[in-house]
Amino acid sequence: MINQSVDQLSRIGYNGKKRYILIFSGLAVLVIFLFLLDLFLGSVKISFADILRSLFTDNGNPEYNTIVVKFRLPRTITAILAGFALSVSGLQMQTVFRNPLAGPFVLGISAGASLGVAILVMGVSTSVVFSGIYGLGNWAIALAACIGSGIILFMVLAVSIRVRDIMTILILGILFGSATSALVSILQYFSSESMLKAFMVWTMGSLGSVSVSQLHILVISTIIGILICFGLIKTLNLMLIGENYARSLGLNIKLSRSLVFISTSLLAGTVTAFCGPIAFIGIAVPHITRMIFRTSDHRILVPGTMFTGAIVLLVSDMISQLPGYDITLPINSVTALLGIPIVIVIVIRSKKISSFV
Amino acid sequence: MNDNSGILRTVDLTVGFTGRQQVPVYSNIDIEAGKGEIIATLGQNGIGKSTLLRTIARLQKPVKGEIFLKGVDLNKYARLELAKIIGFVSTEIVQVHNMTIYDLVGLGRFPHTNWLGNITTNDKLLIQESIHLVGLDYLCHKNINEVSDGERQRAMIARTLAQDTEIIILDEPTAFLDLPNKYEIVHLLSELSRIKKKTVIFSTHDLTIAMQEADKIWLMSQDGIITGAPEDLVLNKSFSPIFENTKLQFDEQKGEIRIDRKTGRKIHLTGSGVTGLWTQRALERHGYELTSEDDCDTMVRIEIKDGIPIWIFEKKGEIIEFNSIYKLSLRLKQY
Repeated sequence: MINQSVDQLSRIGYNGKKRYILIFSGLAVLVIFLFLLDLFLGSVKISFADILRSLFTDNGNPEYNTIVVKFRLPRTITAILAGFALSVSGLQMQTVFRNPLAGPFVLGISAGASLGVAILVMGVSTSVVFSGIYGLGNWAIALAACIGSGIILFMVLAVSIRVRDIMTILILGILFGSATSALVSILQYFSSESMLKAFMVWTMGSLGSVSVSQLHILVISTIIGILICFGLIKTLNLMLIGENYARSLGLNIKLSRSLVFISTSLLAGTVTAFCGPIAFIGIAVPHITRMIFRTSDHRILVPGTMFTGAIVLLVSDMISQLPGYDITLPINSVTALLGIPIVIVIVIRSKKISSFV
Repeated sequence: MNDNSGILRTVDLTVGFTGRQQVPVYSNIDIEAGKGEIIATLGQNGIGKSTLLRTIARLQKPVKGEIFLKGVDLNKYARLELAKIIGFVSTEIVQVHNMTIYDLVGLGRFPHTNWLGNITTNDKLLIQESIHLVGLDYLCHKNINEVSDGERQRAMIARTLAQDTEIIILDEPTAFLDLPNKYEIVHLLSELSRIKKKTVIFSTHDLTIAMQEADKIWLMSQDGIITGAPEDLVLNKSFSPIFENTKLQFDEQKGEIRIDRKTGRKIHLTGSGVTGLWTQRALERHGYELTSEDDCDTMVRIEIKDGIPIWIFEKKGEIIEFNSIYKLSLRLKQY
């Protein structure tokens, strides 16, 4: 009897593994394909061969080289990094809050980041021309965004320790977000036109405005954030069953939570700093990933959300560029329009929202 | 140190809330749990059963006093070290989408595995054995959201088995279960304490189940905690004070709780065996006190005709036959 069940167990385990490998391979192929496709699409028509030549050799058309290497490549890499960062931060927050609707945008973390940037752009440097902000260094913007998002996250957390009810926490998160937006509005009211425009453009979100030096920072902070998250995989799995059980199994809750928040503000904060607030990726992608893999194990979900997030953001980027037209839509609008239907489905489908994560 | 010496012991312990203000809930707790014992914690709602269990599991701080685990101060243990000795099951219902029973039980290996939570063959065997011990083999790849409350509770117990601790503490493990499951879960716990030599400490409101399965009872009464074998507590009448000022009575003959209906009505019952016993219970339910006096004016006689019992009711010369206790009780209600 026990031998039989052990047999059955190992067989199912084997099939599960095979299935995961298959899905991961599929997603990886899709990421590579979309990566190349995103490079290929744009207002200037460049053949596929020319793109590969510009990427991998030195003897391509110099004009094409500039377009591909200076503009399209950073943009595409940014899309992938933002996909990684926002999705992984969303996944971590959904696990820590044990809430399917948690995400950097809903809980006001993006709003916090924008407050940080707004204070830096419009508050600190009212006398300086906006471009001069870049003189303060990209690190300053990244830091301001991370501090802003970290503060909001900390406030939401402080409430979540006292208040058990998930909905209350969500509503408070939304309120914190609104309060931050109000502060941003006040700053806007008192700032000059040029700065206002610069800030407005920033809020619409853009993957294309990330400079190469900013990209370095984005790469570093994304890698650090994701490395922290990988280190927390076992912890995140345990957090799924709640704080009491996690503690009874020997988890240091305060340390783990702090690490999750450092990782989350690093990931969501930096992306928001450079690309603007990109909505709904953080909520929607972890759910898509859970639907694909049908597991709650973060050893699968963390890499899974990274792949899925990259795919979703690459697709969003291609849509925002409106192939065949010269104009580019704000990425924030595209991700919102893509993500909101998914969130609606989640809300409607889960009879018991609290059990969805 | 022999096998029966206290694995867990408290000295002048006061439990309660230790937030901004210290609010003692229950004081003067001097209790001991032996290895391989199953202990039921009893007491009325709000008296502090959960607080006590959470305190000895170090999920909350004591207000005062000391707790010794294997002779060492509980606070001296490192987090993971403690997680290898004490496992805990709370009343909280765990609902995680896409988590299988196998995954859930596997989380019990947390204190024993590496940073990634990778499980070795040894871990796997232990997880499978744990699932087998609680009888969930056939459900191990089912999601915990899709199983019944009783099955989920078994899975939670299997998780503490996989945690491989010497002590398992459970806060009202039978609270939301149906009757067969209540008995089965507690019986499972007592089997585990016997077979795996685990110390099981649980709280419950179900006196009958506790009486049948527990080696020892920690009775949290208003006047202090009373400990001992269930039978000791019956013999020294420890249960009776609980039911003071209530309409309940503890039946020392049967170890059951009875509702004390004082109507002053008496009845004489003739009949024996199982039928007699259950007829007696029905009569008691209707507030009749059984009397042996033959001159009682109300009488019920049970006769067996062709193997089928018939109840004959006599009162003031009136004689009526009934073919079920239900019909008899309808008649009794008229008085």
